[in-house]
Amino acid sequence: MECHLCRLPDNTALKQQKLPTHRLHFSAKKILFIFFATGIFCLCMGIILLLSAKSTQEIEINYTKICANCAKVRENAFNFDKECTCSIPFSLTKKMKGNVYMYYKLYGFYQNLYRYVRSRSNRQLVGKDVKAVNSCAPFKMFHNETPIVPCGAIANSIFNDTIILSYNVNSSLQIPVPMLKTGLTWWTDAYVKFQNPKADNLANAFEGTTKPPYWQKPIYELDKEDPGNNGFLNDDFIVWMRTAAFPTFKKLYRHLNRTQHFTAGLPAGNYSFNITYNFPVTRFYGKKSVVLCTTTWSGGSSLYIGLAYTVTGAITWLAAFSMMAIHMGLKNKKMPIIHQSNEALKEKAENRNGQ
Amino acid sequence: MEDTGVRGAAQRRRKAPHELRPEGPTSMDTLTYPEDLKDAFTWDIKANSRAYNWQFKAKVFLCWHRPKYKTNVIHTAKYNFFSFLPRNLYEQFHSVSNLYFLLIIILQSIPEISTLPWFTLFAPLVCLIVIHATRDLVDDISRHRSDRAINNRPCQVLVENSFIWQKWKNLCVGDVVRLSKDNIVPADLLLLASTEPSSLCYVETADIDGETNLKFRQALMVTHHELTNPRKMASFRGRVMCEEPNSRMHQFVGHLEWNGNMYPLDIGNILLRGCKIRNTDACYGMVIYAGFDTKIMKNCGKIHLKRTKLDLLMNKLVVLILLSLVVVSIVLAVSFGFQMREFRDKHYYLWIPYRGGVAMESFFIFWGFLTLLSGMVPIAMFIIAEFIYVGNSKFINWDEEMYYAPQDVPAKARSTNLNDQLGQVEYIFSDKTGTLTQNILTFKKCCIDGYIYGPDSESRTSKENPYLWNQFADGKLRFHNKKLLDIVRAKRDKVVQEFWRVLAICHTVMVQRKDNLLVYQAASPDEEALVTAARNFGYVFLSRTQDTITLMELGEERVYQVLAMMDFNSSRKRMSVLVRNPEGTICLYTKGADTVILERLHKKHVTKLTTEEALAAFAKESLRTLCLAYKEVDEAMYERWHQQHEEAGVLLQNRVQALQELYNEMEQSLNLLGATGIEDRLQDGVPVTIECLKKANIKIWVLTGDKQETAVNISFACQLLSENMVILEEKKILHILETCWDPKNLLTNKGLRNLTQHSKFAMVVDGDFLDKLLLSLRKEPRALIQNMEADESWQEPYKGVRDFLQGRSISRLWRSFSAQLTQTKSKALKTRESPEMQRERAFMELASRCQAVICCRVTPKQKALVVALVKKYQQVVTLAIGDGANDVNMIKTADIGVGLAGQEGTQAVQNSDFALGQFCFLQRLLLVHGRWSYMRVCKFLRYFIYKTLAIMMPQIWFAFYNGFSAQTLYEGWFLALFNLLYSTLPVLYIGLFEQDVSASQSLQMPELYVAGQKDELFNYWVFLQAITHGTATSLVNFLMTLWTSRDTAGPCSYSDHQSFAVVMALSGLLCITMEVILIIKYWTMLGVVAVFLNLSFYGVMTYITQSSWLYRISPKTFPFLYADRNVLSCPSTVLVILLNMSLNTLPVLALRVIRQTLKKPLPKEEAKEKAPDEEIFTVEPMPSLHRGLRHRRSSYDFSHCEGYANLISQGTILKRSL
Repeated sequence: MECHLCRLPDNTALKQQKLPTHRLHFSAKKILFIFFATGIFCLCMGIILLLSAKSTQEIEINYTKICANCAKVRENAFNFDKECTCSIPFSLTKKMKGNVYMYYKLYGFYQNLYRYVRSRSNRQLVGKDVKAVNSCAPFKMFHNETPIVPCGAIANSIFNDTIILSYNVNSSLQIPVPMLKTGLTWWTDAYVKFQNPKADNLANAFEGTTKPPYWQKPIYELDKEDPGNNGFLNDDFIVWMRTAAFPTFKKLYRHLNRTQHFTAGLPAGNYSFNITYNFPVTRFYGKKSVVLCTTTWSGGSSLYIGLAYTVTGAITWLAAFSMMAIHMGLKNKKMPIIHQSNEALKEKAENRNGQ
Repeated sequence: MEDTGVRGAAQRRRKAPHELRPEGPTSMDTLTYPEDLKDAFTWDIKANSRAYNWQFKAKVFLCWHRPKYKTNVIHTAKYNFFSFLPRNLYEQFHSVSNLYFLLIIILQSIPEISTLPWFTLFAPLVCLIVIHATRDLVDDISRHRSDRAINNRPCQVLVENSFIWQKWKNLCVGDVVRLSKDNIVPADLLLLASTEPSSLCYVETADIDGETNLKFRQALMVTHHELTNPRKMASFRGRVMCEEPNSRMHQFVGHLEWNGNMYPLDIGNILLRGCKIRNTDACYGMVIYAGFDTKIMKNCGKIHLKRTKLDLLMNKLVVLILLSLVVVSIVLAVSFGFQMREFRDKHYYLWIPYRGGVAMESFFIFWGFLTLLSGMVPIAMFIIAEFIYVGNSKFINWDEEMYYAPQDVPAKARSTNLNDQLGQVEYIFSDKTGTLTQNILTFKKCCIDGYIYGPDSESRTSKENPYLWNQFADGKLRFHNKKLLDIVRAKRDKVVQEFWRVLAICHTVMVQRKDNLLVYQAASPDEEALVTAARNFGYVFLSRTQDTITLMELGEERVYQVLAMMDFNSSRKRMSVLVRNPEGTICLYTKGADTVILERLHKKHVTKLTTEEALAAFAKESLRTLCLAYKEVDEAMYERWHQQHEEAGVLLQNRVQALQELYNEMEQSLNLLGATGIEDRLQDGVPVTIECLKKANIKIWVLTGDKQETAVNISFACQLLSENMVILEEKKILHILETCWDPKNLLTNKGLRNLTQHSKFAMVVDGDFLDKLLLSLRKEPRALIQNMEADESWQEPYKGVRDFLQGRSISRLWRSFSAQLTQTKSKALKTRESPEMQRERAFMELASRCQAVICCRVTPKQKALVVALVKKYQQVVTLAIGDGANDVNMIKTADIGVGLAGQEGTQAVQNSDFALGQFCFLQRLLLVHGRWSYMRVCKFLRYFIYKTLAIMMPQIWFAFYNGFSAQTLYEGWFLALFNLLYSTLPVLYIGLFEQDVSASQSLQMPELYVAGQKDELFNYWVFLQAITHGTATSLVNFLMTLWTSRDTAGPCSYSDHQSFAVVMALSGLLCITMEVILIIKYWTMLGVVAVFLNLSFYGVMTYITQSSWLYRISPKTFPFLYADRNVLSCPSTVLVILLNMSLNTLPVLALRVIRQTLKKPLPKEEAKEKAPDEEIFTVEPMPSLHRGLRHRRSSYDFSHCEGYANLISQGTILKRSL
C-alpha cells in the first residue's frame, strides 16, 4: 500500500493524446470557397500571362537546311578546318521592343546522357588544378600525355557556330547589331563555378595542356578582345557547360546592347544572320536554329503557362459549380431523411464522413 | 510409531502413484523405469565432488573442449563490450532490407554502373543502422542488468559441513543447496531431504507452468533417513545418472547410485529452477542441471513472433514493388540497348563515353536503373513503422483511463508490433473466472430452515465490525445480519447450529497458522468463502489431522473424529463428511448442488418448499447456490457401512465405483438445513463492455473450465446471453449440422442460413463435445502455434534463440514469400478436405452465426484448440483474454493475447501481448487504441507509398528523354535526404497522433470499428489508389514542368538540367506536403511543427549543400551551386510550382468531396433498415429450441478437480504435531 497509485501514468495532454487540437473538417462551404478562390486566382493569372505573352515576339530561323552547302562540308570530318559561312536574310515586320535575346536552339542533341553529363571536371573549371581531368573520360588526355583543357565530353562537343546579326539600315548599308556576349550566365556560375587559374598571362596558365580534339582554338583564345570573357570565364563556354535537361533545347547566345538605333529594341526592317557554320548536326539528323525573342516579366513567352493557368482556372470553376449543384441537389433530397432520423443518427453519419 | 505410519503412507504412494498425483500432466508413466535406457544415462554427477564433475568435457570445436556441465550463470544478453559492434553489424546485414541496401551501394561503387552519387544511399543506410544499433544496445543493457540481478541472487550452499550464502552464479552441479520457505529454486535440484514429514516439499510452480495450486515433491526415503544434518550431507557421495538436459518439463528419468544401491528417480523427486518453496521450513537438494541446462532455460526459446495482417501485407507490397522495379529496369535497359545502337551510328559526340558493346552497356544500365530507382523501394517505411508501433504502444501504457487503481496496474503493451491488429479484432475469446468475474466469492445470502437471511441494508449496519466478539474473525466478511448473528450467539436454534457446523466441517480446506492467524487454503474459492463465513459466525475451523477436525464453536473447542470423507467430484456434485462428535453421536454432514441434495432428502420435509423458493430467488440474483444437509447415523448402521467401506477400499478393480455406490448409500434421507448463496461478482463494467464490443461486430466466446450452469449463469449476468436468444446445446447442434450440412453438397447450408437469419442464436458446448469435434486440428500440432519457425524452436531451444534473433532480421521479404507458399498449400488442402475437417468447417459456420458461444468444461489445450479452429476456418483476427495459467495456451495461440493482471498469478500476463488491469479496459484498448493504431498505420502506409512514388516516378519519365541512360533527375542530396529529413516528420505525425474521431466518439460509436475488421483502410485496392495517385502526381509535375520549360527564355529559363531538377524537386515536395496537410485531420501544434520543420529542413539542407563554401571543398559532391536560389529568383518558376501544386491538389480534393457527399446517405439507410429488424424479432420465434427452465441456473461450483480428501485421509500431507 505504500505505493498506491505510483504507477499511475502522467496526466499530460501529450501522453493522454488530448493535445489542443483543430480538426480539419472540410465542409461543403469551405471546399467551394477554396475552389472558387483558386479558380479566380488561376484565371486572373492566366489572363495576365496570356496578355503579356501577346506582347512578346519570337522569331526562329532554322538554318540547318538553309546553309545546305555548309552542312555538306561539315558532314565530312576531314574538312574540319575549312571555314564556311552563310548569310540568312530575314525581315521584322514589327519592331521587337525591350530586351531582345538571341538563342541558338538544337534539336535532337542529347546533352543529358548520364555518361556525357558526368564527363567534366568541376575541379578543373574552378581553376584550382588545371590538370585535374580524372572524371573526364574519355577526353582526359591527349595521347595519354597532355591533359585536355577543358576536358570531358561536354566541353569537347561545344557549340561553335558564330552568329552575327546585322541590320540592313537600307539596301546598301548593313550595320552589325550591337550584341552583348557577357551577362548570359548565372552570377554564381561566372564568379564561383568557373574561374581561370591564377597567372599573369592566361596562355601561361594553361601551359602544358592541350585543347579538346574537336576544338579549333585553345581555351585561352575564346575571346581575345575581352580578357574577362576568356578562358573558363567565357560566357558561351559557361552556357554550354550548363547542360540541358532535354534533347531539344535553346541556349542563350547574345542579348541586345540597347544603344544607338536599338535603344528601344530591334526596329522593324530587314536583318540578316551571318553564320560561321561549324557545328555539325546533320549526322544525327539534328537541327539547329537561331532564335530572337523578347521576354515578359515572368521570363520567356509564357504563352503555354498562361494557357495552362487559364484552363486550370476554368476547370476549377466548372468543378466548383458542378459540386455546388450536387451539394444542393443532395441537400434537398436528404432533407426528409434527416428530419425522420433522430439526432444521434445525424451525428453518427457526420462523424463517419468525418473520417 | 507415528513415523512408520507416515512412511507406510509414502510407500503406498510409491505403489499407486496415479491415485496420488495432483500434478495432472505427469500422467505419462514416468515411473516405469526404462531399463533399456540405462545406457543412455550419460549425465553423470557425483554429489559434493566438483573435481569429479569437472573431469567431463564436451567437445566444442575441433580439439577445443569445455567442461560438460554448465555453471549456474545465465547470460541472456546478446553482446558484450567488444562483440557489440561486429556482431550487431553482422546481424543487421542479415536482414534482407539492409542487404539490399548494401548490394545497391556496392553496385553503386562500380563506375560502369554507378548512377547516383555515393552519399545518396550511404547516408540513409548509416542512419538506419545507427538507429537499429542504438535500439539493440538499449535492449541489451537492460538484459545485462536483469542477468546480473538473477546471477547474484543469494542461496545457501554446503561448503565443508556448513551452509554458506553464495551467489546463484557460483553454483555447480553436484553442490548441495539448502532452501527455506519462499525461496526460489536456483537450479534443477534432486530433493534430498526436507523438514516436513516423509520429506515432502511443497512447491508453487506459478512461474513455470502458471498453476498456482501447491504441488508436492518428495525426497527418496533413503536420503530422507540418512541425510539428517549438514555433516552427513557433506559426506554424501551419491552419484546421479540421468538423461541429458532437455526441455520436457514434466519428465525426468534417472537413478541415484549410493552405497552400492540403485534408486530410481523421477520428476517427483526434482525441484525445478524457478519454483518457489512453500509451506516447507527447509529442504535440501543437490544440483543436477545448472544454468542453461535447467529445464526452464531449455524452454526459454519459445518466443513466437506474432505478426499482423498489415505487416504481412506491407511485406508483400514491398516485394511487389521490388519486382516491378526489376521489370521496369529491364524494360528501360532494353530500350537503352535500342537507343544505344542509334547513338553509336549517329551521335558521334555521345557514343564515345560508352565504350562497351550494346549488350554489355545495356546490362550495366539495368543495374544502373536498379540503383537509381532503389529509392522507390520504401525501406525507410519499415523503420518509421517501427517507431510508430513503439509510439502507439507507449500511448497504451500511458493511458490513464486504462489504469486500474486498486491494484496499481496500468495497461501495458508487452509486444509492440501488434497495435494495428487491435483495430481488426473480430473474435474475442474470454476466460470467465477472473476475467469476466472478479474471482472473489463472497458469502451473500443464506437460507436456514426456510428463513432467508440477506445482508442488512446499508443504513442499519453499524459502522463497527459486528464480529469483534469473535477472536478468530478475519474481519473481512461483508455479510452482516444482526438477526442471524443474534440467533447464532444465542445457541438456541439447533438447525442454525448444524448449518454452520456443516460449513465448518464438510470441506477439504487446509489450515495454517501464521502469526497466530488462521490462513485457509482451499481447493476452490467457494469453499474458502463458506468456511470463512462459518469462521466469522463463530464456528471456526481450527485444524485437522488425518482423522480429526478441531472446531472452535463459539469459544468452545470441539474435536470431531472423522470417520469417512466422501469427496466432491463432478458426477457426485456433493461432498460429505462422516464424523463422530464429541458427544459420541455419528453425524453425516453434506453439501452439494441443489438437484442432488433435494432428491436425497428425508421424506415429508417441511422446509423443502421454502428452501426451493429461496434457491430460485438466489438463482435469479445470479448467486451460486449450495444446499446443506445432515443426518444422524446410528452406530449399527455405521458399523455395517464401515465394514463395507474398508472392503471396498482395498478392492483392486472397480474400486472407485464401489466406493461411490457406498457413498451414495450413506447419503440418503438427509435433513435439509438450508442453502447458501455465494456471489461470483462480475468485474466492473463487464456488461457494458460486452454490449459495446458486440455493437462493434465483435463476437465474444467464453471459454471456461467451469461447469455449464455457472458459465451460462455468468453469461446471462454479463448480457452475453439474453432471454430472447435461442440457445443451442450439444444435441441441437449435432442435429443442425447433420440436417443442414451435407458434406457432399455444401450448398445446403442455405437451410442453415434460413434458420439463423431470423433469430439470435447462442451456443453452449462443453469440452467433451469439442473433443469429439476437433479431430483434425488435434492432429496438427502446428495449429496451435502461429508460425513455423517458432514451432521448431519449441523443440530446440538454442536454435530457438537464434531463430528469434534471425526472426527479426531474416528477410521480412522472404517470410512473406513463404507465407504465400503456405497459403497456396492450404488452398490446395481445402479442396481435399477430410470429413473431420468438413465437420469442423460446418461447426465453425454455425458458430460464426451465433451471437455468443460458450464453451464450458474446457481444458487449457481445448481453449487453444478452439482459438485455432476459428483461426483456421475464418480468416479473422482473434483475441484471447484471460488471467490464469490455464489461459496461457489460448493467449499464445490467438493473434493477440491479452493478460489480466489478476488474482491467478502473473502467468497469463507473462505470455500476453497486452496486459490490462480489468476486462472493461478491453473496450478502450480495442475501440480507441486499436482503431486509432489501425487507422494510423493504414494512413501512414497509404501516404508513404504515395509520396515515394510521387517523388521517385519522375526519374522513370525522365529516362524517356535522356536516352534511357539512367541519368539522375534530382540532386543527389535531395534523394539522400528526402526520406530521412524532408518527408519523415509529417509521416511520423500521422502514425503517432492522427485521430479521425476522438476517443469518446470512438467509444460511443462502436460501429466505426467495423472498418478495421473488413480491412477497409488498407488493402490492395487502397494500395492501387496510392500508386495511381502517386503516378498521377509525378506525371503532372513532370509534364507540366517539361512543357512550360520549353517556353521560357532569358535568364529565367529552367530548361537546363539543374534548374529542372530543382523545380521538379520543389514541386514534388510541396505537392506531397499539401497532400499531408489535407490528410491530417487532427491538427495540433506538433503537426504544424512537423510540417514546418520538414520544409525548413529542406531549406536549410539545400542552403548548406548548395553553398559556395562546400562547392569549393568538393565541387564534385556538391555540384548544385546556388541552384535553388537562382531558380527561385525567377517569377516563372514560382508560377510553375504553384500551378503544379494546384493541379495536383484540386482534383484529389474534388474527388474526395464527391465521394463523401455520395457516401453520406449510406449509413442512414443502414440504420433505417436496422431499426425495425430488432423490433420484429424480439419475439422469440422458435420456442421449441428455447433453453430449459430458468431457475436452475445456479449450482454448486467446485473447481473441477477433486479436493485433497484423499491426501487428508491418508495423512501424508499432515503434520502429526498438530
